[in-house]
Order: sequence, then C-alpha cells, then structure tokens
Amino acid sequence: MRRPVHGPTNRGLVRGKLVIMSFQSPQLAPQVVLSGHGLIKYYGDVVGLAGVDVGVRSGEALAVMGPSGNGKSTLLHVLAGILTPDQGEVWLGGERVDQLNDAARTVLRRRRLGFVFQDNQLLAELPADENVALPLMVDGLSRRDAIGRARNMLAQVGLANEAGRRPGELSGGQAQRVAIARALVGEPQVVFADEPTGALDATTGSQVIDLLIGAATHRGAAVVVVTHDNSVAARCHRIMTIVDGRVHENVGATR
Amino acid sequence: MNPMTDLGLRFVRRPGPGGRAANLAALGATAIVALLVTFLIAGSLGISHRSDRIGWRGADSADAATAIGALHTVDGKKVDGKPLLQVDLAILKPTNQPPPPGLDHLPKPGEVFVSPEVAKHWASLKGEFGLDKPTGVITDKGLSSPEELVLIHGVDKIDSKYPDYVASWQTTAMDGRLGGLLIAVAFGIILVLFPLLSLVGQAAGVAAKRREHRLAALRLAGSTRSQVLWLSAVEQAVLGLAGAVVGLVGYVVLTPLIAQIPLGGGRWFVSDIAPPWWAVLIVLTAVPVLSVLSALIGLGRVSITPLGVVRGQTRKSTTALRLLPLLVGPIALASLGMGAAIVPLLIAIGFAALAVRILGPFAVQIIGKMMANLANGPIALLAGRRLADDPKAAFRPVAALVLSGFVTGFISVFMPGGDDDPIWQDMRIGVALLMGLVFLTAAASTAAGAVGTALDQAGPAKALRRSGVPLSVIERSARLAALVPVVGVGLPVVGFGALCALALSGGQIATEGNSGILLLIGQVVVGLVLVAAAGMAGAPVLRKASAN
Repeated sequence: MRRPVHGPTNRGLVRGKLVIMSFQSPQLAPQVVLSGHGLIKYYGDVVGLAGVDVGVRSGEALAVMGPSGNGKSTLLHVLAGILTPDQGEVWLGGERVDQLNDAARTVLRRRRLGFVFQDNQLLAELPADENVALPLMVDGLSRRDAIGRARNMLAQVGLANEAGRRPGELSGGQAQRVAIARALVGEPQVVFADEPTGALDATTGSQVIDLLIGAATHRGAAVVVVTHDNSVAARCHRIMTIVDGRVHENVGATR
Repeated sequence: MNPMTDLGLRFVRRPGPGGRAANLAALGATAIVALLVTFLIAGSLGISHRSDRIGWRGADSADAATAIGALHTVDGKKVDGKPLLQVDLAILKPTNQPPPPGLDHLPKPGEVFVSPEVAKHWASLKGEFGLDKPTGVITDKGLSSPEELVLIHGVDKIDSKYPDYVASWQTTAMDGRLGGLLIAVAFGIILVLFPLLSLVGQAAGVAAKRREHRLAALRLAGSTRSQVLWLSAVEQAVLGLAGAVVGLVGYVVLTPLIAQIPLGGGRWFVSDIAPPWWAVLIVLTAVPVLSVLSALIGLGRVSITPLGVVRGQTRKSTTALRLLPLLVGPIALASLGMGAAIVPLLIAIGFAALAVRILGPFAVQIIGKMMANLANGPIALLAGRRLADDPKAAFRPVAALVLSGFVTGFISVFMPGGDDDPIWQDMRIGVALLMGLVFLTAAASTAAGAVGTALDQAGPAKALRRSGVPLSVIERSARLAALVPVVGVGLPVVGFGALCALALSGGQIATEGNSGILLLIGQVVVGLVLVAAAGMAGAPVLRKASAN
C-alpha cells in the first residue's frame, strides 16, 4: 500500500480517527502486559502500519496473520522496540517503550523480551549452551552462572544432551528449540516469534510451536507470533489479521 | 551469451545487499595489488635503465691492449657541499662508435662535460679546469638521476695504476651499486610476495560467506559444479580486471611522486619508472587470473558440498603438522650461510615466510580456543569462538600484517648504522620502502578483511541487536577477533624473522645503533594502528548491514 500523498491536515485526520479508535488507557488494563495504541509507521511513501491498536495479556499467545507485505513484521518490530512508530504509543508493563532512546530499548529487549526468528539466527561459532547463555553474559552474569542457567533451559526444551553441539550439527527443529531456549532464558515478559516454523516441516513445526507457547505461557510470558501458517495460529489464544497495515480481524482462536 | 556468464556479470552490476561494499573492498584490494606489482616491475626496470645509461662509467670490460678508452674515478670532490663524481676519461684508440650516452662527442683532453646540476655551480669549478664554461652539458640519457652531480673530464692519460678499461661506450654492464640494489629488490620481492598473495586472496575472499551461500543455493537449484565455478570466475575476473586498471592508473598518477624516492643514487626520471606496454599487459592479465584462481580455490568447498555450506557445517580443524614447515627455513638458512648464492638464499627465505603463512591459522585456532574457554564475558567469548571456528578466515585478513612482522624481524638484524656510505643509505631507504610496501599491503588486506568479516557476520549480528545485544559488544568482539591474531601470532613471528636472519648470519647481528629496535617498535605501533584503522573500515559496514 502506498503512503497517501496528503499534507499534514489529512494525516491529522487519520490521527483523529485513531484517537477515536483508541479504546482504553494502558494504565487501566494491568493484565495487559504489552499494548500498542494508534500505531502508524511509514517506510518513505509506503505505509507499514496505518493505525493499529493491540494488547496482549500475560500468559496469552497472540497470532498475527495476514498477506505478505501488509504490516505483520512491522507491527512485531514496533511492539518489540526494534522500530519506533511514526505515531502512536507502545507500552510494556507500564513503561512507554516508543519514547525510550535506542540504548534503553536495547536494554529493555535484552531483559524483558525474547525473540525467535524464522532461521533461528544462532551464532554458528558457539555451541548451543553458549548461544543460550550469551544474552545473560551480555547482561553481566558470570560465565559459570550463565552457562548453568542455559543448560537448565536447554534441558527444559529437551536438549540436555545437545548443549555442546553447534547449530550446524543440529537438525532444524533442534536449532529452533535452542533459539526458544535463548528467548526464554532471561525470563522475558513477552516472547516475539517471527515465522518460527517457516523453515520446518509440518510435524517439527507443530512440536516447536507447542514448545514455544507452552514454555512461555507456563512462565506467565505473553507470546506474539507472526505466521502464515493456520495450524500455528490455531495453537494461539487469539488471532489478529493485518491487511494494508490495519487490523482486519481480531478474534479468539479455537484452541 | 552463456547464462552463467550473464548471471556473473549481473552479480557484478547488481551485487545485492552488502554486495556493493564487498565489491568495492575487493576492487580496492586488487587495485593495490596491481599498483604494487606494477611498482615492483617498473622499479626493477628503472634500475636497469639507470644502469644502462651509466654502466660505461664503471665498466672494466677490456684489457689495456684492446680497450678503446680508460677511466678513473676521482674521489673526495665536492660541489655545493655535496659529493661530486668526477670521471677522468682518456681515449686510447679512435672508433666509429657513438660517444658515451648523454655526450655529443668524445671528450678531448681538457674538455669537460658536466651534469645540469654541476653546470649551475660551475663558477666554483672553472678555476680548477681553466674553462669559463663547461664544454658541454650531459643530457638525461647519460645521467643516473636528474640531480646527479657528475663531471666527465677528458685527459691525455689516466693518472692511476689501475684504470678501468672500456671496450664500448654503450656497454650494458650492470653498475656495481645498482647491481646490489637489484639483488636487494629480489630479496624485497620475496619478502613482499606472501603479503601480496595474501592480499590477492583477501580481495577474492571478501564477503566469501555471502558468495558461498549464493553459489551453494545455485548448486541446490541444479547448477553443475563447473557452472558455479564459471560464474564465480566471471564475477571475479571482472572485479580483478577493474582493480588492475584502477591500480595501473593509480601507479601512473603516483609516478611523479615515486620518482622522488632518492634510491640508488638520487631521484628518478619519470620515464625510467614508467611501465612498458608488456608490463601493463602482464598486470592486466596476471592480477585478474590470480584473483580468479584465489576465488575458485576458496570456493572449492562449496562446489563439492553445497549442502554442508548452506547449513553451516563445522569446518575441519587445523593440525599441529603445520608446525613442521617452521623448521625448514631456519635450518636451510643456517646451512647456507651468508656466503651462499642468491637464488638458494631467496628460496630459503621464501620457505620461512611460507611457513608463517601455513602456521598462522593453527596458532589462531589455539589462541581462539584458549580465549573462549577462559572468557568470562561475551566479547572474549564471541571473539575466541570466531577465531577457533574458522581460523583460516580469521587469519586471512591479518596474514599480510603478520608476515610484515616476519619481514621486520628479519631486517632488524641487518640494519646499518648512520654513516654516509651510499650503499648503506640505499639500504636504509630500501628498508623503509620495503616496509612501506608491506604495510600498504597489510593495510589493504586488513581493511578488506574487516569489510568481508562485517558482511559475513551481518545476519547473526542483526539478530543479536534485535535481541538486545548492544552494537558495541558486537563491534568490540570483531575488533578483538582482528587484534588477537596480530598480537598473538604477529609478535612471535617477529622473533621468528629475527631467528631466521640470525641463522643466516651465523648469530652475528649486523645492526648498528638502535635502528633495529626502532624498526621493531615501529612495526608493533604500525600493526596496532592498522588493526584500529581496519576496525574503522569494518565498523560502518557492520553497523549498516546489521541495522534493523
């Protein structure tokens, strides 16, 4: 979708519409751990998000679906503080994320959020336990403690015997489970997953998404999953469909 | 057009994300290779040209019975406070030969031909020779350098017991000083050869991982091994040729500056060091061919096991067998000794330098493992694992710099003192020039390597940044991974270079004063500065390539 070639007045109109759409104050919804309000994001002339409101509760899994290039990943990146919105607000547990500077958002991502990517993006040079321990070490934990926690987390995702193996020596499903362990090891409030099963076969994909949602929500973390896969979405509590940068549908899933 | 040729050319024109930086780095590195190769060829030829013009002055090429002339060099004269070369020349028999280069006729007794620089100061000499002005001014064709202070004095007979007898005024016999310089150049070429080859490999290998993945994808899509290799060859040949052209143009532009180097008896005529057409042809052919060969050797693994590369298969470890070549150089040099012929000496020194190149990755692997195992923070852990995981790739960018350590260590044993002997002066300038060449090579190689590494690491670095790992941690680990091989391998290699030189000299240190120590300290400082500079070259690329 192209960005409308309107002046500031029309943008103001859009914003006015979004203000009307904004249905609640974040402070009034304590159970909502992550929320976005009136999110607008442009890429040059192209509209990434055209006014999105979203909220996720602790222990809830939200699937974000929709056609390619319609704003799913942009929404994930904005909610995760990777991108800042041009308009709108992002709140994480009572803290406004979009107004933080880059360094503060970096710390916030490291301490309070977890990430799982489609192609796992593990460091090929590091064995599984060090891949999982790395965020903890970056945060100042000693190597011994970080590795200990990492191995414990790997055991919880069924990889106790693979801790010393490198990503290149693991199967796709195993590597993705390492990525899940890395995402969860810091005990995040929200785990973001961008097409986490996109590179896996159906059976392995089902196992991985069950593990991700089960392990995260069991700890009280919210999960936001961007996916094209209906079977993945069906495992979430709620499905939000994004079309042309807007929320097209926001319904409870059949799980 | 062959579809793979077309695809290869398209990859050059539209290289994709990060590809432009990779291509620019490869082109820049190749250009420096071309520039240095041109310099070495044209410089060697320049020495020969210079010798051809003045060879007759020092030639003792005949006996008294057959000689057409006799010469004697008068020592100790000065003009304007600088040493003046006065050559007394006696004609022994008439010939049909043209006069010596730069003179319009053979000087008769009492006639004096002088270089332009001497002509400017003739007032201080005219009393001695009884001439208001010199008989003639020697043209460029008879001078070693534009500023040469030389005077050819016609005499009846040579006032010396041991004159030099000349068989021809056009002799091409090598001038003694310039002959020594040519041998020194040969040593220099051997010492700069491996850094230069490392740079060729670096230029071809920049963004190697990116290319590996692309070509492995082509293999998975059904391309044959030969098609994949051909595509890479086309891509690298275009970049290599472009780099060679840029390097040649750069050399031509720099020629007036290069001509200012006062080596082998003064500054140079630009025409002396201009590359002939065949040298241009060699550079335009050899540089792309070497680039292509380097790229193809580097891609051998992709062609054979495309699946392995796509999945990031663990690489084979290097083994301790790499230590063995270390013994060959010193033993060979010790057995040859200083009196040996030049060629075996050159081969032995080449072996020693090659051993450093072979040993480097093994040493990097050991250091990397130790670092990773002892690390208590993410920076050392990342750097150590990166070094241990692919020590060849880690060593490649700094190979030239490490080899410069060998050169420094070797030369530091033979640094002359501060006297006015022109041979020593040549040697000091030659060492400075050699180190300049090696450091330029090392700088280009290190910078190209930093760009390549940054591009290779872009994907994981992007994921780390998204996950909340600060860019500074990623950059510092990259800098550490570049610095450790330089310090951890480079410093011992300086010692190995000195050991080889001592083996050659039989334990004698020819260095006078503290020039050797200064050279070693300079090497360390320059090495560290280069790594820092290389980090600066890689940092913006990493920042951009890993940005969200």
